[in-house]
Amino acid sequence: MQPFFLSLLIISCGGILPLFLWRRPLLMRGAGATLIAAGSLLGLVDAARQLYAPVAVTATVDLLNTVPITFTSDSLSAFFLVAIFAVSGLTAVYSFHYMDKSDHAVRTAVHYLFFSLLIAAMALVVTADDMIAFLLCWEIMSLSSFFLVVYSYEKEQNRRAAFLYAVFSQVGAMFILAAFGVMYACTESFAFAGASGMPAAIKLLVFILAMVGFGSKAGLFPLHIWLPQAHPAAPSHISALMSGVMIKTGIYGIIRLYAILEWHAPVLGQIVLAAGLVSGVMGVIYALGQKDLKKVLAFSSVENVGIILIGMGVGMIGVSAGKPIMAVLGFAGGLLHVLNHALFKSLLFMGAGMVLHRTGTGVIDHLGGLIKRMPITGTTFLIGALAIPGLPPFNGFVSEFLIYIGAFNGIALGKTNFVLSLLAIVGMALIGGLALAAFTRVFGIVFQGEPRSPSAQAIEQGPTMLLPMIVAAAACVVIGVFPTAFLTMAIQAVEPLQLGYGRIPLTPFIQITATITRAAVVLFAVFLILLALRKLLYSGKTVTRSGTWGCGFTQPSARMQYTGSSYAASILAFFKPLVPIEEDHPPVIGRFPVKTHYQSRTRDIAEHQMDRLIVKPVLFLFDKLRWLQHGDIHLYIGYILLAIVVALFFV
Amino acid sequence: MQSVVLLVSALLLAPLYSAMILKVKAFFGGKKGPPLLINYYTLIKLFKKGSVYSTSTTLIFKLGPLVSLCTAVMILLFLPIAGHPPLISFNGDIILVIYLMALARFFTIAAALDTASPFEGMGAAREAFFPIICEAALFMMLILFYILTGELNLAAYFAGAQPLGLWQSAGAPLLFVVLALFIVMLTENARVPVDDPATHLELTMIHEVMVLDHSGPDFAFIELGAFYKLFFYATLVARLLCPWTFDVPLLDLIFFFGVLCLVYMAIGVTESVMARYRMDKVPQFVLTSFALVFFATVITLEFIK
Repeated sequence: MQPFFLSLLIISCGGILPLFLWRRPLLMRGAGATLIAAGSLLGLVDAARQLYAPVAVTATVDLLNTVPITFTSDSLSAFFLVAIFAVSGLTAVYSFHYMDKSDHAVRTAVHYLFFSLLIAAMALVVTADDMIAFLLCWEIMSLSSFFLVVYSYEKEQNRRAAFLYAVFSQVGAMFILAAFGVMYACTESFAFAGASGMPAAIKLLVFILAMVGFGSKAGLFPLHIWLPQAHPAAPSHISALMSGVMIKTGIYGIIRLYAILEWHAPVLGQIVLAAGLVSGVMGVIYALGQKDLKKVLAFSSVENVGIILIGMGVGMIGVSAGKPIMAVLGFAGGLLHVLNHALFKSLLFMGAGMVLHRTGTGVIDHLGGLIKRMPITGTTFLIGALAIPGLPPFNGFVSEFLIYIGAFNGIALGKTNFVLSLLAIVGMALIGGLALAAFTRVFGIVFQGEPRSPSAQAIEQGPTMLLPMIVAAAACVVIGVFPTAFLTMAIQAVEPLQLGYGRIPLTPFIQITATITRAAVVLFAVFLILLALRKLLYSGKTVTRSGTWGCGFTQPSARMQYTGSSYAASILAFFKPLVPIEEDHPPVIGRFPVKTHYQSRTRDIAEHQMDRLIVKPVLFLFDKLRWLQHGDIHLYIGYILLAIVVALFFV
Repeated sequence: MQSVVLLVSALLLAPLYSAMILKVKAFFGGKKGPPLLINYYTLIKLFKKGSVYSTSTTLIFKLGPLVSLCTAVMILLFLPIAGHPPLISFNGDIILVIYLMALARFFTIAAALDTASPFEGMGAAREAFFPIICEAALFMMLILFYILTGELNLAAYFAGAQPLGLWQSAGAPLLFVVLALFIVMLTENARVPVDDPATHLELTMIHEVMVLDHSGPDFAFIELGAFYKLFFYATLVARLLCPWTFDVPLLDLIFFFGVLCLVYMAIGVTESVMARYRMDKVPQFVLTSFALVFFATVITLEFIK
């Protein structure tokens, strides 16, 4: 594991060095971005190499000479490391020009420290091999990302978002701690290895507790509330990193726990699949209703986490039903979607960051026509927008295709599994269609048409911001057209799951990706033929430019364009019970009506219900218990004594 | 070889079949109607012209027609025409076909939004909405076919004697499927009662309003793509409606193209006797197709057990 720790060391240097260089901002950003990117590249190469020659490597570190903590990197860890280091490297490069406006040199330096800590913690989380190591790194990850979210703390809104994030990550960590606590009580060891011997009921309890804990990190509906708040608050490359890979550590937790428990009961798959379906459908519907560019992307992460879990659920059902093909397709599809989503979501967040950085606004309805002045941002964003609803020949299609085929294998199963497989297929079709609507909306309103406000006249700048977008977009196309190598990686990552299949034969799965490659090649061939035909048809023709046909109206203005809200209105109306919309529109009355306005806002049903059912009762309870906290120091000492006595006698 | 000949004939014949709808509508209107070759004349006329592009548009506006024609040709490659095996076929090809149509939709919408026209935006919003339900219905249909055949490709459902096999194992519920597929066909191809291609008010259109700004060869590409897409769906409906084969190649061919003709006429009759639904009723109409297939699946499950 030497190269792995070396890469983490380099990344940490990239975080510490800027602290001493804050007087020279250019050098500081240069040192931070270069070192983090270099460390990530080293880690990426090492992880990819490990996927091709899968050997689990272990390293043990003595913490304070008392607790030995262990890190093991098997191919499942390596697969997540590939995603983590790829996105870290890209976002580190991106940060160089993105942070240039900042006049808070010290704050930027501190940001690099937490940035590098976050990357290192994520890498350690996916390699942690015992409870202590896992929880320690998990907490470092949560805390460092909290400080990154609160970066622009002057705005009250951002402080609120960071606070909400802190609450969710801590409550989530509590649930994980509870799950590990139950495991420790049963096995009396901090190691993960012995957990497979626990009784079934305990395993179910552990899994459900962990599902809540990991789900709150992964942004699973209805535990996603922090996501759409935290992403607009954080700097864009941090959003890219958090949405692209940090939330995937939650997925990693779920799948790793599944491997540790070695319990192939159907109920696990059913829970995961159902959770994925809810998250997927609700996430994409809410994505349609958002007005802020980064909030759309945040909700789309909720959706994609749903798709990943649908894949995992299909896999788990396949295992419990004794259908190896279905199992491998589900897991491999889900894992491949982890990588794919990491790529296109970070790409989209970086694109959104460029828009935000140059125009100063992230409100969709204030933008428009940006692709003309931001050709590279626009084109790469288009590729991301095509990949995310799973359209061929881009990478999203590959993973969704695998999950579809896996789910179809489940159609032949018995009652509950049949219904769930059916729901998975129809749900994914629905998610795909809605995601297409959501992303044509974002792309069409933000990048196409005419600028809706003067601020949308900005041009793109900063080569280090453009380069990562180009790389990520290229990766989306490469995986979409040549998925075989990446599917092989995903299948390697399925092997440590202890499914009892031994070495998984690659041939039946590679056949699927080979057909995708073939179809993509045919698609390009037909496209090129038609392109040539078009060129031929237009040779020697007069091509002129004129205004858009206004259907007889001669004085169109940019304000008359369809807005993002109007675009989504009819779809949202269809899903009304799930997405309550608040409208503020004083009616026009009288012969000389006064000025009126229209405002609409989608209300998050999960946030509302959680406020009503959990926050309010808890606040009420603590309000009633206020007398306990009276400020009298003598009684406080009494409490402490009482606690010690109780602990001595009863525990 | 036969498949290639059939594909070429499909590429050439699709505009002719679409003209049949106009003829039927003219008959119901008591008019003589345009000649059967009208679509070819229109295409040639458009091919000869140049284009006017809006100053608001970008490269994406030009990509729209190209991609929609490209995907329309692509889906014909997967289509078993007249029961013959298609040129390309693999496990799961139907999923690719559905997603290719989604790709076309993405670019049509993007091209429409590129013009900054409020009318085209309105059409785009509708185009983004209704096919979502169609896709769900199509996948539901796939589930039913998968239960019946255990296969996941178009050839396994529509080639040779396969459709007859579907009828034998599913029986009457397949009628629901035919009806549902017909509804999906009307919706996806912008026909009455979902969309009226002949209306003159832009506010009430879906597909036509989205292509208002296209002209010349670009517009010809869009029209051609639309003919192919309709041909794709009509072939599926025709194969399901009349699944018989006679083992005499020529007779099979004549029979298939005859039935196909009937399907197009049925579209014409539907357009003549129905009015377009109010926009907010359309989702309910499209949802009917999903409900029909869903019921068919439930009934079939009981049959098989």
